[in-house]
Formats: sequence, C-alpha cells, structure tokens
Amino acid sequence: MQRESGYTEGRADFKAGKLIRIRAKFKDDKIEEIRITGDFYIYPEDTIEFVEEKLKGARIEDVEKIINEILKDTEYIGIDAKSLSMAVREAWMNRN
Amino acid sequence: MELRVIFDNKHKAFWNMALDESLLMHLKDIGPTLRLYGWNPAAISIGYFQSLEEEVNVEKAREKGVDLVRRITGGGAVYHKWELTYSIVLPPPKGKILDSYKLIEKGLIESFKILGIEAKYSGINDIEVQGKKISGNAQTRKYGGLLQHGTILMDVDVEEMFSLLKVPNEKLKDKMIKSVKERVTSLSSLGIDVDFQELQNIVAEGFKKALGARLYEEELSGEIIKKAKELEVNKYATREWLYRR
Repeated sequence: MQRESGYTEGRADFKAGKLIRIRAKFKDDKIEEIRITGDFYIYPEDTIEFVEEKLKGARIEDVEKIINEILKDTEYIGIDAKSLSMAVREAWMNRN
Repeated sequence: MELRVIFDNKHKAFWNMALDESLLMHLKDIGPTLRLYGWNPAAISIGYFQSLEEEVNVEKAREKGVDLVRRITGGGAVYHKWELTYSIVLPPPKGKILDSYKLIEKGLIESFKILGIEAKYSGINDIEVQGKKISGNAQTRKYGGLLQHGTILMDVDVEEMFSLLKVPNEKLKDKMIKSVKERVTSLSSLGIDVDFQELQNIVAEGFKKALGARLYEEELSGEIIKKAKELEVNKYATREWLYRR
C-alpha cells in the first residue's frame, strides 16, 4: 500500500491463540483498505472476505459492531469477534 | 461405514492439494475416502488465510527446490518433508464443525496406539504425545462434503524448517527454535522406527477402528484424476491462488 497524503497506514500482529495480522489504510477515522491474514480457522471461510468488504469505509468506532454482527453465526479456532476487533483497533492505534 | 483407502505415493504439492479437492468434489460418487500420501519434493503449505510473503522465505524455498502451495483449509504454514499426510472426505456429520475434528482425529489416536504410543487431543486440531505436538489437522466444508487433512510427523528438523519460514521477530528466532523444539516431537524422536508404507497401513487400520469402517481399495476414476489435473494447473499452480492474500 502506497502512502498518500491524508492517508495513514496501520499494522497489527495480534496473538489470540492463533495469529491475526491486520494491514490497513485509513482516511481520517475511516478504514480505506484492510487485509486480514493469519493461521486461524473460521467457518464459513468467506467470512473473512465479507468482513474486509464490510469494514471498507467503516468508521473505527463501528468496527466492533460490524464484526460482532458478521461473526455471530460462525465457528472458529484462534479468532473471535473480540480478538478480531482488538486487532483492527491495534492497527488503528499503530497508524503512522 | 465403507471407507475407500488410497495408499498413495509422494507427490508434488500442487497435485497433492488438487487431488484432495477433487476427492471432496466427488464425494457423492466415491463415498467416504481416506488418502494416505507424502510429498516429493519437500513442500511448504500455507493456510487459506495466510499471506505467502509474510510466512515464507520464498527465495530460499525456491533455491532449495521446496514446493510452495496454498491450502483450501485454514491454519498455519507446514513444512512437509518427513511425514505421512492423510486426507479424508466424508459426508458432514450433524452438529458443530469443531466437534467433528475429534471424530476424525480419533483415527490418528488409534494409529498411535497401534504403534504403542499414548496420544492425546491438544486443543481442537492438534494431537500431542508426552505434551508435545506430533500432528496438526485442518478441515473445510465445501461442495456438500467435509475434507480434513493432517500430518503425522515421522521426523522433524526445526532449524531447517525455520530456515524457510519467516518469524515475526528475527531477533527472537533462536529462542523460537528452542521453544518449538521443546513443543514438537516425531515418531523418530520417540524411538519408533517405521517406514512410510508400514505407517500407511497402520494409519488405515487406526481409521478403521476409530470409524468402525470396512476398508476397501478401488482405483480412482478418470474423472477424478481429470478434475485434479485441472485444479492443479488452473488453481494451485497459479500465482493468483498462491498470492491470494
């Protein structure tokens, strides 16, 4: 991700049983781009792409609510709504 | 239950993952199937959600002739060299996905029992012996079926593994190697001398006991092989899939 004026980038490697890595780009307090990777398991698997899609354009204060809503009917190992929300928040805190 | 067993050889990584997926796609035609295989050349498979560049020293792996492949299952990067890998396709049992891991892992627990080793479940998807990990397992549900694959470590070289994998903090690499050495074991470390084919037979027997299955062998149809070849070329071997995340 190229740094452009007005944008900030944030990363987090969040350990939650498994590793959740966040690479994100922010514009003010909104998520512009986000990529979630790691060695966790989640069912159905396309949940993660769905979360990425829904977080694009979302305000950082709404992250937890969005993630809670999407993950409520999923099964997982090494990730859950709380840890994923915390990982995104950590990336936000770490932004340059 | 009737369980088809495929005593397979050691194959290239793209083929291994392609055939597992093709078996899953054809579950309705072939019925419950257990495949026992290995990897040649050695390979690193990464989990579905991982980024290749973040996990693997790609240049080093290429230089050493180590295959790289992305799995359709979650979990972490695995260095496949001295191991037996199993894959099983089944109709999904009722209940939670996470509960079905143990049902299948029982096949491995029984296999270790035949080898005279008392193995235990560790978390949802690992198996340990004397408190050390000896097997990792990963499952997915697709095409109306369940695929679980996993490994039995026959031997392990943690230094070699970490020469190919990236670690979050290079400064702590030595410490990490030491810690992994303390947490991982293999049949060889446990003093079990068994060759690949013997182990295939033992694991087939372990699954037979765990699932109360009748085992049979039957050649795979041309259609399954054809689909696997298609997946090998058009999915697993593509940059698009490998660098998906």
